[in-house]
Amino acid sequence: MTQYPTVETQANRTRQSKLVRLALAVAQYTRDGIQYAPGSGLPVGAESVAFGRELVRQGRRNLHVVSNCSSQQLNLLCAAGAVTKAEVGFSGLEVYGFANGLRRAVESGQTILEDYSNLTMALRFLGGALNWPFVPTVTNIGSDIQWYEAANPDEYPSKGKIPAITDPFTGKTLGALKPLRPDVAAIHVTFSDPRGNAVMLGTEWSRFELSRAAKKVILVADHIVSEDLARQYPNLIRIPDIVVDAVVHAPFAAWPQCSPGLYDSDEEHMKLMNAALKTVEGYEDYKRRFVDPVETSSDILKLIGEEKIEQLTHGPTRFLADPFRKWILSDETVAELTEGR
Amino acid sequence: MSEYTQQEMMAIATGREIRDGELAIFGVGLSMLAGFYAQAHHAPNVRSLTEGGVYGATPVGGLPWGIECTRISANATSFTGALDALGFLVGSGRCDVGIIGAAQIDKFGNVNTTAIWNGPIGPGSRAPKTRLSGAGGANDIASSCGRVVIMATHEKKRFVEKVDYISSPGYIDGPGARQRYGLLGGGPSAIVTTLGILRPNKDTLEFELDAYFEYSSPDEVVANTGWKLKVSPNVRVVPPPDDGELRILHEVDTTGMLRKK
Repeated sequence: MTQYPTVETQANRTRQSKLVRLALAVAQYTRDGIQYAPGSGLPVGAESVAFGRELVRQGRRNLHVVSNCSSQQLNLLCAAGAVTKAEVGFSGLEVYGFANGLRRAVESGQTILEDYSNLTMALRFLGGALNWPFVPTVTNIGSDIQWYEAANPDEYPSKGKIPAITDPFTGKTLGALKPLRPDVAAIHVTFSDPRGNAVMLGTEWSRFELSRAAKKVILVADHIVSEDLARQYPNLIRIPDIVVDAVVHAPFAAWPQCSPGLYDSDEEHMKLMNAALKTVEGYEDYKRRFVDPVETSSDILKLIGEEKIEQLTHGPTRFLADPFRKWILSDETVAELTEGR
Repeated sequence: MSEYTQQEMMAIATGREIRDGELAIFGVGLSMLAGFYAQAHHAPNVRSLTEGGVYGATPVGGLPWGIECTRISANATSFTGALDALGFLVGSGRCDVGIIGAAQIDKFGNVNTTAIWNGPIGPGSRAPKTRLSGAGGANDIASSCGRVVIMATHEKKRFVEKVDYISSPGYIDGPGARQRYGLLGGGPSAIVTTLGILRPNKDTLEFELDAYFEYSSPDEVVANTGWKLKVSPNVRVVPPPDDGELRILHEVDTTGMLRKK
């Protein structure tokens, strides 16, 4: 086992696990009408899709979603009619095409979609994390991202979305971005210990900034690991427990999207899901089959099926998780440490 | 001469725009194939990045599903994030070249990937007729890279006088506009299509037909363009792919994405 020097203090003995069951986390931390950040906001990759499924299951409404990109989570939330406003840099599913549920909600006017770019959404989280009044930007200026504000379409070009400002040093024109401080962020991570020290394999996208910008941070982890991992690789802990409020253990948390090191994206289900979300009937059917039955986070494993799990977990990135596997805690240990089990 | 598709010609012609040693960013899909083709063929020292902050990777098992998926993450040498890739390396003005795609494009090289209304938006434009994918990182790439190569299927409905919505700026409304708004990058250097290559006129910044392919003609390109496309007096025919180029493209495009008609 890992060898590191410790000091047996009272605090070390009494610090508590932040593990909480998915359904309880959604019930405790989310409300109708909140500003919600699904992290990472990657369309095909590591994303807290499990949390979105539970938001739909519990019938949350009127959400204001802020996210680097869209994903199957935002696609599902939009299809459910749960999103009043969304601010994103990208709203598609990359090679899987347009997000049909989101598309339907935007075209019908049900969801107001405010466009930014993948850099400026990250900058807005950075601004929130730093508690800055605004963030200067040299992108998104000179385009309709600056001139068209979906929430205030009568003012064109918009003066309020990305106002033009003057660089006090050079006198040049640039833009000002509104920082974001979401009420709740549900951030996908590959591994977290029970206190919330987390490792992300693959791109972290804007999860680092988001974890400091959000008022409440819930980690949605594929695996729960021993704290020894953090002691061994503290440089890899880009989200430390001091900014984390709760930790949810959700196997295949990103499914049908991928989690580098653990599982590939489920091509078949990505397509099935997006095709279903195209219509109201398709959404209702999808919800009945793939949302409602997931009462605990491990129920998802039954839906995915053993054969598919075997296939998805033997992808090309499997080796990335190897150094960490020895710290993965058993389901029994995780259950003992989890509130609301 | 081997058979090739229009998509493959477009990818190879785009790849030829990338020079060895450049810091280069490729968007998802066709842009990525063209970029990795260039790297495999004539630019082994190109320093490529994806906007997700995945560096040093060569895709395995077929076209990556996304800029962050397991196919692009299997042999990376560094994982960082959006702020690093799109901010420190692109938004800063440091990146030499980017490749992006377009759903709709106009004579100044402005790109729309956001949505289709019924013509250019203005005061009071509400929900779009057709929602597309949004700008993603392409706006940041188009704003700040030294130069940008745009790839698009050449169809009259896509090549319009003025895009409905500028998702990623080209030369906006003509000379001086990029400087006026404070954009750092040089703007689009080429629009490579399924029928030819368009480049900006250095005085007007309007895109003109610079070259056509073996199987196309200036008349065909003009007929498939929604604005009055000027043909450069020096218009030339692009050499078709040679066997070496096609062989390497097939190696990169392992799932035959570009060979689908």
